[in-house]
Amino acid sequence: MSDPEERRRWPWMLAGLGGLLGLGLAGGLGGCGLTPPRPLVGLNTQLQQLGGSREPALSGRWLALISRRGGREQVLLVDVDQGRPQPTPGLNRPDAQPLSVAVDGSGERLAVVRQLEGRTELVLYRRSLGLLQPLALQPPGVPRRLQMRADGRQLAVEVSRNGLWQVDLVSLP
Amino acid sequence: MGAPWSTTNRTDPALSGDGRLLASLIDTDGRSQVLLQDQASGQQRPLRHLRGQRNVQSPSLSWSGRYLAALVLQGDQRRVVVEDRLSGHLLQLPLPAGLQPERLSLSPDARRLAVQVRRDGQWQVQLFALEALLEPDLAGGLRVGDGGASVR
Repeated sequence: MSDPEERRRWPWMLAGLGGLLGLGLAGGLGGCGLTPPRPLVGLNTQLQQLGGSREPALSGRWLALISRRGGREQVLLVDVDQGRPQPTPGLNRPDAQPLSVAVDGSGERLAVVRQLEGRTELVLYRRSLGLLQPLALQPPGVPRRLQMRADGRQLAVEVSRNGLWQVDLVSLP
Repeated sequence: MGAPWSTTNRTDPALSGDGRLLASLIDTDGRSQVLLQDQASGQQRPLRHLRGQRNVQSPSLSWSGRYLAALVLQGDQRRVVVEDRLSGHLLQLPLPAGLQPERLSLSPDARRLAVQVRRDGQWQVQLFALEALLEPDLAGGLRVGDGGASVR
């Protein structure tokens, strides 16, 4: 490495090696097209102003997420077409910690996994009624993530039972 | 659902919009792989690119299950990818610089993608339009402009 010519060559060799590694990784996914999606800048700016947010669930024009504001997290339902949050009376309570949320394609039904009084529970919210009802898992287990069918008639729920994570399909009335 | 996976951790379920297909992650040697199944029969459905791919996270299906979006760990970076089961193509969706994706949700019509990213040490959800990249996947499996081709 004492040869100046050799020292000049090294960065190019490393760059070439990096390129080959990159191609190798891309090759692992086989024939991958690379195209950037278009950010919805206006809506993203509004979401940013709402504070931190996580666990997005998109269905139709509805985006449900967990938003952090004023030191506490709550479930938020955003009408993507109108670009603003919609009222969800009775959905959030100050002593509950939401973990995951799902929404149907009409924005009528939301399912939430939340922690309340030391328990993790699954609840279904009907927006037009402002009604929140608990959903029991059979056999009992601890729910975590979930997702809802577009028509709101079925949930897929990640459930922990006896140290094993399973997927439950829950039919909704 | 399928007996071979009954003693394996299964996480991150995602239903297609019509409820016909179920994607989930199965844990193999500490690395997650995506499993796509017919919900009624439990029968496994083919994936050209993502089947056998290790370190997959956050799967999300479109209406008919034509599109499967997911995060794939490559090195120390998570990439957003979409497998089109009808065309057999895999699309990688690079996010703006500085955004590290953590979770995603594809709208059933495949027109939008919501991505949870980490920026400046804080979680944020960002939305992206996919209309220029993907054909919509509409209810009934109809493709825009023709009689409709469904994915089985």
